[in-house]
Amino acid sequence: MIGPGFPAVLTAAAGGDEDAFGVLWHDLQPRLLRYFKVIAPGAAEDLASETWLAVIRAVGRFQGDEAAFRAWVFTIARHKARDGWRRAARRPVQELPATSLAEPPAPDDPAATVLEDASTQAALALIATLPAGQAEAVVLRVVAGLEVTQVAEIMDKRPNTVRVLTHRGLRRLAERLGADHGPRARRAV
Amino acid sequence: MAADDAWSAEIKRLPLAPDPDPLALDDDLAERLLDGDLPLDQAPPGYAQVASLLAAAAGPPTPAELAGREAALAELRAMARAGRAIPRGSGRPGRRRRVGLLVAVAVCGLSTTGIAAATTGTLPDPIRDTARRILATVDDTAPMPSTTPGRRPAPSPGDGPAVGATSEGQRPRPAGVPEATAGPGTSNDQPCRASKARKGADKNKKLNAVTSQAAGDADNVTSECQNSRPDGTDGNGRDKHPPSDGHGRGQGSEPPPDAGSKSGQGQAGPPPNGGGGSPEKGRPIETGPRRTSFSTSR
Repeated sequence: MIGPGFPAVLTAAAGGDEDAFGVLWHDLQPRLLRYFKVIAPGAAEDLASETWLAVIRAVGRFQGDEAAFRAWVFTIARHKARDGWRRAARRPVQELPATSLAEPPAPDDPAATVLEDASTQAALALIATLPAGQAEAVVLRVVAGLEVTQVAEIMDKRPNTVRVLTHRGLRRLAERLGADHGPRARRAV
Repeated sequence: MAADDAWSAEIKRLPLAPDPDPLALDDDLAERLLDGDLPLDQAPPGYAQVASLLAAAAGPPTPAELAGREAALAELRAMARAGRAIPRGSGRPGRRRRVGLLVAVAVCGLSTTGIAAATTGTLPDPIRDTARRILATVDDTAPMPSTTPGRRPAPSPGDGPAVGATSEGQRPRPAGVPEATAGPGTSNDQPCRASKARKGADKNKKLNAVTSQAAGDADNVTSECQNSRPDGTDGNGRDKHPPSDGHGRGQGSEPPPDAGSKSGQGQAGPPPNGGGGSPEKGRPIETGPRRTSFSTSR
């Protein structure tokens, strides 16, 4: 969060001030990357760049506080993700041999230790295993820090639907952490 | 107690009610989890790990996530150079579109009104006079009385080699103009009659009335048109003779060699059917004091 200085930062960024834009970028870029890693893994960097390009083009027209700005940026991000899904749907799919896929690490695998160091990535990976709607609702609430109504607008759903999605997502996470991935996830986080 | 009856100890071990959901989550607890406001020791069974996981997902940025800062700033600089960044506070596209639409509607409305007024003959006099002047430069076969002192109706086409030309080098009248051979003895409103006959002037009765009235008073004025002043000007200080190339602004033929001696006959050559006029056609008509009445007859 930028805080009370957000209006000045936004005004300066809209005027082309690089430092001010850097403040906005520093605050939102990690959240954008994490959001994309959950809903569009494999294209997070590209989609984040496209989102920032759109933000630069239109930031002069934005009016609102910091929370609204964050919701606006993630609205753009979701549109970019949808565009990415459409592009991916038009591309031919080349099937990979099953042996080329990485197998999940065993509980005592040394890779699990690396995963512990990257607890954020592990947490995002676990959230990404949720159904798409639940994963997106959870990450927009937790990572983007948005309210229920803002998430509902971004996802084009009703607020109660978003609440149900997040409840189910949290419950499923609890089930997984307490059952299959319990010991490893506990270490990871 | 029968042999197949269960033991009382077994009966006591049967659950009397199903266990409550160990992962039950109410709204308040869920909101606290999502907001990161739930301490791990206060988390219900099964959700402490979830709280830790969500905290990790919303953790501080890693260096890898912040590695693209310079690239993003480079994009910002490129956009600023290209001028594509929209200045803050600029109007919305919808507003500009509305203004453009209003301007287009206003232009269309004015154009339509002007055309309708011109068609019905209700144009204000100054505008109508201006339009006549403009049209007269395009087609002088329709001479009109003018309120402008410097403009006079063209003389009769039968007035010798100067017919069809005005003091400003107007074009000669084309063939087929009715009553084009009438001499000064017939009437001096013949230019207007010719115009009416050629253009179907009955469409505009008001204009015809004005024209007829003007023509009735125009005998002296026409004669003034045809008379040259001793100084060779048209009364407004302009030279009535064409430029030395003989073309003037009209499309007439070569001027007569002694154009100065044919004062009041213009610079253009004879009209296509202008020949054969009476010997009196070239006779100058005396200028009378009623020119003023013509000029203000409208």
